[in-house]
Amino acid sequence: MLSKRHGSGEGEDHGIDLAPMLDFVLNLLIFFIITTSFVKEPGVSVDRAEAETVRMAEHGNILIAIRANGEIWMDRRQVDIRQIRPLVERLHIERPDDTVIVVADKAAKAGVLGKVMDEVKAGGIKEVAMGAAGAGGK
Amino acid sequence: MRLRRHFDQEDTTGIDLAPMLDFVMNLLIFFIITAVFTKEMSLDVNRPGAQSGPSSGKDTGSIVINIQPDGEVWVDQRTVDVRAVRANVERLHAIKPDWGVMVLADENAEAGLLVQVVDQVRQGGVENITFGTSTTK
Repeated sequence: MLSKRHGSGEGEDHGIDLAPMLDFVLNLLIFFIITTSFVKEPGVSVDRAEAETVRMAEHGNILIAIRANGEIWMDRRQVDIRQIRPLVERLHIERPDDTVIVVADKAAKAGVLGKVMDEVKAGGIKEVAMGAAGAGGK
Repeated sequence: MRLRRHFDQEDTTGIDLAPMLDFVMNLLIFFIITAVFTKEMSLDVNRPGAQSGPSSGKDTGSIVINIQPDGEVWVDQRTVDVRAVRANVERLHAIKPDWGVMVLADENAEAGLLVQVVDQVRQGGVENITFGTSTTK
């Protein structure tokens, strides 16, 4: 009798009820799907200039890096300045809300930065910002 | 005995949620790993010649700041230190509140200095900044 109760009571409707856990996990999943922004990393790190008045970019998620030697990196590849426009056009069609941040090294040339920003504008993304680092850990 | 079997059957009705949970967990782990929480920090500037500029209405001038290739910064026909740009912009902004700032950098000037100048202008209270480049003759 004791073994029968054991068998029918706990053994056969086995395990915990997974439904509440599934609800919880689905909620987490939805949260992460919504907050994921899929930033296009440039693939190189540059020495950014510090600035006091930086703005947190809400959806600045295409990063173009300009290194001190003038190399331009975008989406983990080194690109030529003439390639930026078609690349930006393609990304703009895929995700029209994306904005671009051009991150220039401290020692990079301002002329290259200007040209890159012009190419991005020509590619259809009007919101272009200069990348900077927050000063004093702000 | 029959009653017990009936009871068991009712108890195990419904779909087995475990495989679905496995799948959803995998999706969740994927999104946690790919999520990037670092917000990029940036400074907004306009470029000259853009069609979608906000300053298309009235004909306003702008405060011009020149950055020379050797790192000299010129405001209002005087060479000033980078840290003094803020004070100069504040003064000129008080005289001409409608005017934006045009940062005209030589194409061989350093981008780090440009960011510093733009930062100083923003600290001086002007948000409408245009970044232009000029070629050395």
